[in-house]
Amino acid sequence: MDTATRRANRPRPSWINRFWAVVKYEMLWNIRKKKFIGLLIAAFALITVQFALPAMFEVGQNPDFAVTFSAGNLVFFLFAIVTVMNSISGEFESGTIVPLLTKPVSRTMVFLGKLFAAFIVIIVTYAVLFTYATIGGIFVYGPQENLHLVPLVLLGNIISTFIWVAIVLAIGSISKNSLLAALGALGLFISLTFAGSIIISFSDQPEILNYIPGSGASGTLNVAQRSQNITIQNITIPVNTIATGTDSIGTNLANYALYPSATVNVTRTDYISATPEHPPQVIQLYTESIGIIVLRSIAVAFVYIFVFLFVAWYAFKRAQILE
Amino acid sequence: MELAIETNSLTKRYGSLTAVNKLNLKVQRNTIHGFLGPNGAGKTTTIKILVGLLRPNEGTVKIFGQEVDGDQADARLNIGYMPELPKFPKHLEGSELLDIYGQMYGMTKQERKEQIPKLVELVGLKGRENDLIGKYSKGMQQRIGIAQALLNNPELIILDEPSLGLDPVGMVEVRELVKAIAKEGRTVFVSSHLLFEVEQVCTHVTIINRGEALVSDTLQNVSSKISGPVTLQVEVAKLSKAIINAVKKLPFVAEVAQSGNTLSIDLKTHDDVRPQVSQEITKVGGIIVSMNLQRQSLENVFMQLISKQQGDKA
Repeated sequence: MDTATRRANRPRPSWINRFWAVVKYEMLWNIRKKKFIGLLIAAFALITVQFALPAMFEVGQNPDFAVTFSAGNLVFFLFAIVTVMNSISGEFESGTIVPLLTKPVSRTMVFLGKLFAAFIVIIVTYAVLFTYATIGGIFVYGPQENLHLVPLVLLGNIISTFIWVAIVLAIGSISKNSLLAALGALGLFISLTFAGSIIISFSDQPEILNYIPGSGASGTLNVAQRSQNITIQNITIPVNTIATGTDSIGTNLANYALYPSATVNVTRTDYISATPEHPPQVIQLYTESIGIIVLRSIAVAFVYIFVFLFVAWYAFKRAQILE
Repeated sequence: MELAIETNSLTKRYGSLTAVNKLNLKVQRNTIHGFLGPNGAGKTTTIKILVGLLRPNEGTVKIFGQEVDGDQADARLNIGYMPELPKFPKHLEGSELLDIYGQMYGMTKQERKEQIPKLVELVGLKGRENDLIGKYSKGMQQRIGIAQALLNNPELIILDEPSLGLDPVGMVEVRELVKAIAKEGRTVFVSSHLLFEVEQVCTHVTIINRGEALVSDTLQNVSSKISGPVTLQVEVAKLSKAIINAVKKLPFVAEVAQSGNTLSIDLKTHDDVRPQVSQEITKVGGIIVSMNLQRQSLENVFMQLISKQQGDKA
């Protein structure tokens, strides 16, 4: 059989088979990373502490704990960093990009495969953490209501995490340097967190925070007291307090599902006028519906995700492999 | 004849440095084509363009007659490529790596199950295939590199310095492997800076320096074209004037020198004329003890070409 015949007889492999091979390749990398396993253990420890501390102070019942539980912005950020900081740049640094990209898989397929693998790893990890949080919530805060909304909260948490996944991938793809990807994203995370804290404390226009990744503005959900406020050592944490930014997509999705017509009074605490005699006052700024808050935060999140993923993909697609 | 690789005015620049300069490369199929050049000659850059890792600034590349432009995944279905000092993910086992790469080539599970153990044995990794690649020595990584290049039984196999990092036994094994692959009707394009390796394995050779192809032909023609007169050393049992005169009369003989019972015959041709010389000597009663055709080695040719190019540029 000559070359031409052999080539003609060889069937063109399906896209999905090749794509799945990339996913498998990346998932094994993700799962076997020691730092990922370490982070998973750390996340379990953090959640355990979150349960253990209130339990020590005998808090009351909170049937909404499971649907208002969120992994938290630091967890989003750390999981994103650990999962994708060397997804692309690590291939360049180790030189493994050379054999990978000379296989019959396009760069777009490699990029999408790596992204999908990150999605699977994050969704599975969050599912385990949320299951643990829900079971823990039942032990600490008593029977939980609306458990069917927990997957929605989980989905929101994944969207929040993917903003950072996209940012880390973009920096890694451009720089081809994992350390730079991690440090660049960390710098941005710290800057945004600080900027957010300053704006929320001193500005009467915290709505700008709704358009950058982070916690956004804060306010109170105008619904009847849904459960007992959490009281620890005489400090009462109202359960109706919510944040309106991209970090809270999960809990706000649950809030919207529970109270679709509820409004949120966006407030800020006036620290400037506070004196020892006059404690800081809460100033009401504006009111908006929970539906708008959820829609806006999802839209903002997707804009960031798509823009940064496009940057990452384009940089990867155009990269010259000099390694 | 269908060409496995064809480049036309291929040029690659890195800033002001021209790594590959208007390279016209033609690799016939079913040959072992050596790509020879000193370090930094542009061999790896050319190969990276062929496999889609780099984009050329100018020129075109055709693989089996099909133009390849950048990241065309399907064009790589028929290419097996082993990079220079290949690096593979350390977290994967050798057999896992081959399995995943095989899936990328579209091999079925059954095909992979049959092919991988064969390859593992072929490259001498049997018993170590389930170890993590992170635990492999440099030579073992080179061996798994060869295995992954042969995974899909590709029509074109591109090996970039396949002997680097291998021990002498491994180097011989690789040479034998390359010859065996070519016998199956496949094309092997092998880059090397080891002249003896190319000389022993290749049927064709392209010599490249400073990004330019200096010569490209069959190995024999390259030696002949560049070399000076070929000398035939003939040792006879007893040298006589009759023998010397008979040899001098041959039309392809340029000059004859005598040293003891040995004649050094400078030839005007690069053809193998040993039968004619032998016949003439025997006719006049001479008894031939030994006969040795002295051509220039590839090393001499290589050094001549490189020196000539450097002289021309100076």
